[in-house]
Amino acid sequence: MSGSALTYAIIDGVLTGSVYALMATGLTLIFGVMDIINIAQGIFVVLGAYLSYEIQLHWGIDPFVGLLITIPTLFVVGIVVERAFMSRLKGPEKTAMSILVTYAVSLLIEGSLNMIFSVNDVQINAWYVNRSFKLFGVYFAYIYVFGFILAVVLLTALWALLYRTRFGASVRASLADQTAAALIGINVRRVATICFGIGTAVTAAGGMVFGATNAFNASSSYDLISRLLTIIVLGGMGSLGGALVASIGMVMLEDVVGVVWSPVWSTMTFFIVLVIVLSLRPQGLFGKQLARTA
Amino acid sequence: MAEALLTFDGVVAGYGGGDVLKGVSFAVPAGGVTCIVGPNGSGKSTLLKTVSGLVRPRLGTIIFQGEDLVGRSPRHVLERGIVQVPQNHSLFREMTVRQNVELGAYLVRDRKVIAERYERVAAAFPIVSERAGDKAGALSGGQQRLVEFARSLMLDPTLVVLDEPSMGLDPKTLRQMFQTVREMNEAGRTILLVEQNARQALRLADQGVVMENGRVRLHGSGHEVLHHPEIGALYLGGSIEETVTG
Repeated sequence: MSGSALTYAIIDGVLTGSVYALMATGLTLIFGVMDIINIAQGIFVVLGAYLSYEIQLHWGIDPFVGLLITIPTLFVVGIVVERAFMSRLKGPEKTAMSILVTYAVSLLIEGSLNMIFSVNDVQINAWYVNRSFKLFGVYFAYIYVFGFILAVVLLTALWALLYRTRFGASVRASLADQTAAALIGINVRRVATICFGIGTAVTAAGGMVFGATNAFNASSSYDLISRLLTIIVLGGMGSLGGALVASIGMVMLEDVVGVVWSPVWSTMTFFIVLVIVLSLRPQGLFGKQLARTA
Repeated sequence: MAEALLTFDGVVAGYGGGDVLKGVSFAVPAGGVTCIVGPNGSGKSTLLKTVSGLVRPRLGTIIFQGEDLVGRSPRHVLERGIVQVPQNHSLFREMTVRQNVELGAYLVRDRKVIAERYERVAAAFPIVSERAGDKAGALSGGQQRLVEFARSLMLDPTLVVLDEPSMGLDPKTLRQMFQTVREMNEAGRTILLVEQNARQALRLADQGVVMENGRVRLHGSGHEVLHHPEIGALYLGGSIEETVTG
C-alpha cells in the first residue's frame, strides 16, 4: 500500500463524508426534535438531485447557483409533508408510526419520480464534474472539493443558526427536553415544523452533489437512506456532532479498508465497527445515555 | 382571606385513558403559599399541568385574574405571568447555567431587560453567578433545583407553580429549598406547590389542599390540614370523610 493511496483515502473521507454529514444532519435534527425517523430523507436527496438536474437541463442554470431555487423548494416540501403527515403523529407509538408514514411518503415520491423521469439513470453534468487538479502531488476532483466547500458553508450556517440565534436556542432546548422547552414559552410544534423544513432543505445540497458524483434514479434512495440511518445510529440519534463525526468516519474507514485490504471489505468493515460501537455504547458515539420518551 | 388569584372550578382532565382529575374545585389566594398534598396518583401533578397548559381539561374552568386558562397554550400562560417548575429536572444539561437562566426570559425580546433581570436573579441566587459558565448537567440535584427557581423568576411572574421541588434532595438542601420558596413568596410571588414532603411543606403554607383520587378531600389553612387527625390515615391508605372548610 502506498502512502499516497492512504492519503487519498483520508482526503476522500473528509470530502465525501462532509456531504453525507450534511444529509445526515437533517435526519438527526428531525429525530432529535420530533422523535421522527424520516425514512423519506433518501428520496428527498434524490428529489433534490432531480431538481438540480432539471433546472440545469431546461434553464441552463449551474447546479450550485440552482441551489438558490432548490433549497427553498425542498424547505417548502418539508413543511408541507410535516403539516400534512407528521403533525398528525402523536402518542407513545409516534416514532414507530413515523417509520411507516415516512416510508409511505417515500414510496409516493419515488413512484411520482419514476413516472416523470422513467427508471433510467441520469447524472448532473457541469464542467467541474469530470475534471480535477493536482495539489501537493494529489489529484482532487473539482466536484468533491466544491461539494466539500458547500457542505462546510452550509454546516457552518446551520451551526450559527443553532448556536448563535434565539431560534437556535429554542431548537437546542427542544432537542434536550420538549416539556421543559414548552414550559419556558418555546412553541415546540412550530420549532418541529421548521426543523423538518430545514432537515429536508439540506437534502437539496446533498442531492445536487450526490447527483453530480453518481448516476441516479429514484431507487437510489434506498442505498442512501440505509447509509444515512447507519450514520445517525453510529453518531447517536439526535446528535448533530455525532452525525458529522460518523459521516466522515464512515467514508474514511471504507476508503482506508478499500486501499489496505480490498474494496470488498469496505462496507462490511464499517458495519463491524458499528456493531462493536453499539455493543459498547448502545446510544451511539454521542447519543443520550437514557432512552427518550416519545 | 386574600382575594383569589387562581380558581379551579369543576376541573376534569386526564390523558386519554380515563379521567385523572374528577372535578377539582378550590381557590389559590393572592400573595400566599398554597400547598397541595396527597398520595401518589391522586392527580396533584396533573392539576398543575392543567394550569401550565400541558394538559387540557375536559370540563371545568381555571380562572386566573378573570381569564379562563382552559385551552390556552403554555406560552400564553407564561405571558399571563404564571411559570411552572416541573417535577423532573428541567435544566438543559448541555447549556451553561447562565444560558439556562437567560432562557427563562425566552419570551422577552429586549436584551437590556433580560440583562437586568439576570443581574437581579443572580444576586438573589448566588449559585447562578458562582457557576454561570458551568454546564447545568455538572450541578448537583439541589443546585439544579435552585437554578430552576432562578430561571422561573426571569419572567417576573405573579404565580410560581412548583411540582414536587424537594424530590431527590438531601435534608440540608431540602431546608435550603423550602427557605428559598419562603423568600420567593416574601418577595411578592404567589406560590402553588405540590409536595410529597407534606409536613414540611404544610408548615410553610398559608393554605393546604389534600387531594385523593382526583378530588379535593380536605382544604383549610396549612396549620389546620397539618394537624387534621386523618391526614396520616390518608397517607396510610385510608380516606377522609370530612372537610375542614368549604
